[in-house]
Amino acid sequence: MINFEEELKRFQPIPEVNQAEDAIYSNDLKDISDIVFQVTEEMKSASEDVANRMVGRVRR
Amino acid sequence: MATKKPVLCPNCGAHIKKNGYCSACHMPLPVLKKAFNTSDYYYNIGYDRAVARDLSGAIDSLNISLRYNKKNIMSRNLLGLVYYEMGEIVNALSQWVMSVNYQLNGNLASKYLKELRQDPTLLANVDQIAQKYNLALSYARSEDFDLSIIQLKSLLSANPHFVKGYLLLALLYINSDNYERARTTLRRVLKIDKANTLAIHYLHEMGDTDENIIEMSKESVENDGLLDADEEAITLSTMGKKNGSRVKMFFGDLVERYKAKAVSRGEYGEISLAKYSGIYVLLGMVLGIFLLYFIVVPAQKRKITDEKDKLIKSYSEELADKNATINSLTNDIANLNAELEAANNPDTAGDNPLPDYSGIQNGMSDEDLQNMINNE
Repeated sequence: MINFEEELKRFQPIPEVNQAEDAIYSNDLKDISDIVFQVTEEMKSASEDVANRMVGRVRR
Repeated sequence: MATKKPVLCPNCGAHIKKNGYCSACHMPLPVLKKAFNTSDYYYNIGYDRAVARDLSGAIDSLNISLRYNKKNIMSRNLLGLVYYEMGEIVNALSQWVMSVNYQLNGNLASKYLKELRQDPTLLANVDQIAQKYNLALSYARSEDFDLSIIQLKSLLSANPHFVKGYLLLALLYINSDNYERARTTLRRVLKIDKANTLAIHYLHEMGDTDENIIEMSKESVENDGLLDADEEAITLSTMGKKNGSRVKMFFGDLVERYKAKAVSRGEYGEISLAKYSGIYVLLGMVLGIFLLYFIVVPAQKRKITDEKDKLIKSYSEELADKNATINSLTNDIANLNAELEAANNPDTAGDNPLPDYSGIQNGMSDEDLQNMINNE
């Protein structure tokens, strides 16, 4: 049996025309290339950290 | 010897190094290629679903396609188009604006946005529809169901393709145990989006089987009386119907353009000529009447006249024969009578005619009479 209250929760207000800009900004999702780019940047910074630590140890 | 063309990064456009990584963004080329191919694959699925009017399925596929490549212009444009067809024009606008942002030249989305910009009343109506829907939703949440239904009917008259509005209206009808109205409303949803999961869920909950639902989606929704009952409450009816047909025309036009561009993968849908059947019947009747009055009737008249003339001629000939026979028989009778009379009176016949008594006068004596006879 349909639970009206539960079903009503599925319906959300729709954006009006003056809220279209917000809809555009909120719609900018991440794709595979963004994720790969993020992962490579993290790996790059991690490797730089390791290199800096190594250099610090050598200097000491 | 041909020079080898340098491979460019599809992400940033820089050169790809020999190890397969981009020299600027350090992205691995094989991964990007695989992602872009997968994006195109899901675009094709989304396209097929959109053409088969499984719009919610198309939205799912196109969103997956954009997850693999957010710069897939075809996917984004088609997603906007599907949103437009389902009456979610703000979402359509946002997809097209982002598409134009990624690629300005040679992008169909520029044309769509231009067409929308040329009609400022359409955008005003879109805004009004969104406001009405949000108001109807707030009425429903505060249990003012009648007001909510009036608002929904008003906005659906303005935009008959707004699927979310139909779904909310159906839910309100189900809540008020008006199942027939709910079915009529959901049938309209299935006409726009053949496999709308929420509509099918509601129909299943009302006890409809899958076969019933398939049959229901084939039935016509015209003149189902869903939006006619409260017409006095509708304020946007004239403008709205115009826009509704415009939405339909716009989607049809754009799907045709997509068909021309996409790789053909089979035919979907049917060209229905049923709406012209009345005109065809009328034309057939007019043609039939024309043939009857100008070809068949004159031929029949001519045939009847010929037959009549032949009949008159034959009767005239027969009459003349009869008259001739009568005349000859009359003559025969006269001759025979004369012969009969001659046979009955042999004395008076021949050379002795009766004496002339014209000289007899009153008062003559017997003697004078005898003299007169003797003289004769």
